[in-house]
Amino acid sequence: MDIELSSEDLAFTKEVRAFFEENEMAKGEDYFVWRNNWFAKAKEKGGWDVPKWPAKFGGPGWTPTQHYIWEQETAKANIPFDIPFGLGMLAPILMGYGNEEQQERFLPAIRERTVNWCQGYSESGAGSDLANLKTKAVLSEDGTYYTVNGSKMWTTLAHVADWIFCLTRTDDSGIKQKGITFLLFPMKQEGIEVKPIITLGGSHTVNTVHFTDVKVPVENRIGEEGKGWTYAKGLLEHERTGLAGLSKSLFELEKLKDQARTVTRGNGNLMDDSGYKAKIAELEIDLMATEYTELRSLASAAAGGKLGPESSILKLKGTEIKQRIQKLTVEASGIYSPAWGDKNIGLPFAKGGTAGYLNSRYFTIYGGASEVQKDVVAKKVLGLTKGSSK
Amino acid sequence: MNFELSEEQKMIQQSVERFVQDNYDLNTRISLSANDFGYSSDFWKSMAELGWLGLPFDESDGGFGGNQIDVLVIMEQFGKGLVLEPFLASVVMGGGALKKGASESLKNEILPGLIEGTKQLSFAYAEQQSRFDLEDVITSARKEGDGFILNGQKSMVQNAETADHIIVAARTSGGQIDEDGITLFLIDTNSEGLSMDNFPTVDGLRASEIILENVSVSEDRVIGNIDEGFEILQSVANDAILALSAEAVGAMEVLYKDTVEYTQQREQFDHPMSEFQVLQHRMVDMFMEYEQCKSMLYRATMESVQDPKAAQRTIHGLKHLIGKSGLFVGENAVQLHGGMGVTEELRVGHFFKRLLVIDSMFGNADHHLQKFTTY
Repeated sequence: MDIELSSEDLAFTKEVRAFFEENEMAKGEDYFVWRNNWFAKAKEKGGWDVPKWPAKFGGPGWTPTQHYIWEQETAKANIPFDIPFGLGMLAPILMGYGNEEQQERFLPAIRERTVNWCQGYSESGAGSDLANLKTKAVLSEDGTYYTVNGSKMWTTLAHVADWIFCLTRTDDSGIKQKGITFLLFPMKQEGIEVKPIITLGGSHTVNTVHFTDVKVPVENRIGEEGKGWTYAKGLLEHERTGLAGLSKSLFELEKLKDQARTVTRGNGNLMDDSGYKAKIAELEIDLMATEYTELRSLASAAAGGKLGPESSILKLKGTEIKQRIQKLTVEASGIYSPAWGDKNIGLPFAKGGTAGYLNSRYFTIYGGASEVQKDVVAKKVLGLTKGSSK
Repeated sequence: MNFELSEEQKMIQQSVERFVQDNYDLNTRISLSANDFGYSSDFWKSMAELGWLGLPFDESDGGFGGNQIDVLVIMEQFGKGLVLEPFLASVVMGGGALKKGASESLKNEILPGLIEGTKQLSFAYAEQQSRFDLEDVITSARKEGDGFILNGQKSMVQNAETADHIIVAARTSGGQIDEDGITLFLIDTNSEGLSMDNFPTVDGLRASEIILENVSVSEDRVIGNIDEGFEILQSVANDAILALSAEAVGAMEVLYKDTVEYTQQREQFDHPMSEFQVLQHRMVDMFMEYEQCKSMLYRATMESVQDPKAAQRTIHGLKHLIGKSGLFVGENAVQLHGGMGVTEELRVGHFFKRLLVIDSMFGNADHHLQKFTTY
């Protein structure tokens, strides 16, 4: 057992830092020009544009420690923002269950970031109980296309998406996990209507999406008809560790401390307040422990190819930590936390802090609510039987 | 970076695990705790023969050159049986102080017996007024001739009753709460002027209040430099915190697993209790606290091996978490065992009591949270 980074890992850290420095956005540079160049250069480094992809599909094939270093460094650096749906969520499903033709058709554009994807999973009656979904897909008599009817809800960034990967029901005769089919189709077509849902922080991120007689060629089906649940579930497990966002939280926590130091309190600042300081400390200790829970989970994955039981708690702890940082930001804003609207009133971080806090409430709801996560840990890790009462 | 134990460490882990399984059922522990020593001198001999008592000492001192990770391996398994033998007091604390500060001749005199199991040590750092502050020392050591005269009182001293020597922190200069001016002395327990008031602690172990009245000790019994004992004191406290935390992690594992098993067996309202979601989620919370404590223990231990000074802040974080989460797991294990949980008949209550004591040792959760904020 030792903590020391090998000389190879130290060299890798240096290389990553140097890359970030060389490719900083210049003053006045257009964001999209910079972003495209950045990813092109990262690709030349040997798959740094798709760090989590396996080497077989052009990823860098890093060790767990290298992934950890990358995450640490990216949290501190200014790098282009990525939307996870295509790269992190659909791509692994295409790699695992898509056929070669589908991989060749979709993966390059995902990698080049030229096509935006959204995830059509949740519905008004299928949230935590995702398998309850009702959006119907009916195969044509000649077997060449599906006709999709129904609605999706909470669809993140559907209003800017080019394509959707969508869970649909093709059979409702058996148990609800069976009869779900995984389809891909373009968003900009007749029969698709996207309506915004405005969340508590005042922003438009999620939507309702209605489908009326949308035609989807059968070549756009992943795997077999009726097996979509298995494919999606594999992804949810994959998603479990990705949502912890610990390196980002470390960065955000340091930012929060800096912000709290700008808040005057008597002759000092908020970081002199013993009550506030204690809350920050408790949060930081939890974060330090969770970081090592993540490292332990990476290490056991590397050793046995399987995530250990400790990985099951990462989403629960990671999302809770993100929320606590947001909450302490609101506390730091004090009397200015209610200031809303377009003007900058009082503390510069106050409005963003309040909006961030309100929006952060969904961290423990999406991707499997915390209570559902606990059900999973109870069953899968502790071996506790499921209640027979409904 | 890796979390794997070495082959040797795995062997030690297995042999300690087997020892605890074979020897430390609840009834044995209760009867050992009630005997004259408060533990088994046969077990102590076995531990010496198996080489466990020499593990953290340098090879040049007759040890096996281990470090805090080796101690973690032993203590975590000890925690699963709440082992009574004074490994922490004698080896980690007493022996640790000698390892860190004693002269070669003092080490040569004491360590071989300690490693063989024929000599025992105790470490007296706390005083009535000091609460958790290591630097708060009133007990005085006045220079006289080639030695010192000690006067004062030491509190909650573990393993003093069966120890041959006690390491005492006393003030040779400075004010009551100055870090400078503290000196560590190795004192024979049969010294004239030393008296002990022995008593049991709630976890089945023993402690003593020690009074020093004009106890004379020669200068060659000083550990480290005169007036500079604080650094050793702090370093021993840090190692003790790591060891206690490892023990706590072992105890927490027993508590959450016992609770899972109990709720699967016991039926209420015509169902096994493990089917009730409100209880399932509580057990998931217990499991998570256990895993988080284990992660923090690994972190603090590995950082300590690499650079003890830089690890100080993490150690404060660790002891905070162990105190808080240990009691959370203990209280909930008792709660989910219901009426049986508050009896002496099941082991959960005994593990809970040990976690309560661990929180009180070397600073509780609040103390270390406060210390953590000073960085």
